[in-house]
Amino acid sequence: MPTRTPHTDSGSAPGPYRRTVSALRLVVVGGALSYRALFNWTTPPMFIGTLLVGPLLQLLFFVFLGRQLHVADDRFYLLGNAVVSASTACVYGGTMAVANERRYGTLGAVLLSPRNRAPLWFGRAIPYVLNGLVISVFTLSAACLLLGLRIPVEALPGLGAVLLAAAAGCSAFGLALGALGLRFRDVFLVSNVASSVLLLLTGANVPRETLPAWMRALGDVLPLTHAADAARQLSAGGGLDGRGIVAELLTGAGYALLAVVLLALFERGSRRRATLDVM
Amino acid sequence: MTLVRAVRLIGVGVRTHVSYMSRSPLEITFAVLVPLVYATLAVYLFRAADDPDRLLTAAVGAGLMGIWSSVLFGSGGAVQNQRWLGTLETLVASPTPLSLVLLPITLATAVIGTYAMGATVLWGAVLFDVPLDFAHPLLFLAAVPVCVLSLGMMGLLLAATFVLLRNANALANPLDAPVWLLSGMLVPVTVLPDWTRPVSWALPTTWGSRAVHAATSGGAGAGEVLVPMGVALGLGALYALLAVLVLGRVERRARAAATLALA
Repeated sequence: MPTRTPHTDSGSAPGPYRRTVSALRLVVVGGALSYRALFNWTTPPMFIGTLLVGPLLQLLFFVFLGRQLHVADDRFYLLGNAVVSASTACVYGGTMAVANERRYGTLGAVLLSPRNRAPLWFGRAIPYVLNGLVISVFTLSAACLLLGLRIPVEALPGLGAVLLAAAAGCSAFGLALGALGLRFRDVFLVSNVASSVLLLLTGANVPRETLPAWMRALGDVLPLTHAADAARQLSAGGGLDGRGIVAELLTGAGYALLAVVLLALFERGSRRRATLDVM
Repeated sequence: MTLVRAVRLIGVGVRTHVSYMSRSPLEITFAVLVPLVYATLAVYLFRAADDPDRLLTAAVGAGLMGIWSSVLFGSGGAVQNQRWLGTLETLVASPTPLSLVLLPITLATAVIGTYAMGATVLWGAVLFDVPLDFAHPLLFLAAVPVCVLSLGMMGLLLAATFVLLRNANALANPLDAPVWLLSGMLVPVTVLPDWTRPVSWALPTTWGSRAVHAATSGGAGAGEVLVPMGVALGLGALYALLAVLVLGRVERRARAAATLALA
């Protein structure tokens, strides 16, 4: 007869290894589960239509606008829009990752969990980083094929790094906007405006030197701005602009920090006012 | 149903839905704030191109883009919203033809879109000192409602096709930019490849935009405004007729398969 070994609780806290594994599991498994549950555009028609075809058609719109106005060449619009194409998935995804918990009535259960908030929320951003990267690569490849633009092969690894940094920064930006979903009802309203503002202020479609100084300053602290510049430089054969990538990563880190602070602040406020699930 | 009752139904429906949508922050954002961002972008691009004479065209073009976006998402949402609210079956079962129920919604989305036109033109005038020197001010005031009407009728055809699709937004989201492009709302259609011309000509949005732009910019005679207005209305009516036929077919199919709420 088999004997069952009773579970014994030694009473000691788990070691650093177990804590790390547990946190990683929360990041990866929790992130994947929340992506499946909370991202509204995972069905193939929505993913293809909204996240792949939409940005590509938007890119073509701006390329033809640029050709008409002779403000900049195709390369400028192509690279700028390929970088900014990640914003649909990252901004809306980051928002949905937090705001939809409240919308679907599961926020209370999530916040009852004793788990550390940083891996809990950052795990949710990772699928959108990957989504953003896939979308940018698709948009860039499809647009290059359609418009006949050539990018030097040696620039591709650097371009991949720039697009990854852009997607990471933009996802952190989306998460920070999503944090507002703990406090405000119509957070998608903010996401819509933010997504449009990125088109204007990041220099994806308007050369930044033609914008007023205050708009350039705002663009400097937005995600995608530095990545768009670095991507253009790379595709023109100018080599990898390390400062551009670092600036993009720092911007993303700033939004990640802002997201953590806002999430903690709004969580505490919601508990105090008992307004966690009030829509 | 008599013509008088149909007109009354459309009038009351448009008023109801315009009031309803005007109270939605999301609708207002789409109708006003997002077009303002596009207007700003267009003005800076036209300035960068050293083309200050066409700043009013840029502001009006951004307004037209806003009207189309409003119709597109409104029409997609017209059916989807009823589906989510659980009222689609009731509307289909009512003795009023479904097309007459949906037309006021799509027309209302186009009317809400005029907020975009007003906002972008005013934004340009106040912030960028864009002079409001319309070539034909009265014709402009006539061309915008005609454009709105034709777009609303086009929206009915969109709504009709969206009845069948559960993910109507999947179709609506990528349709924004191509129609801006193919209709010459901000970029003249002459910039596009030749093969796109027949597609442009088949869109009421192209003729509506042409009428509005001709009334805005100098050098165009009254005929260049009135003829596109007529074509936009004619095409809009054709789209509405097609929508009635499609809706009848879709409705019969959905009833037979009992999939109206699930389609």
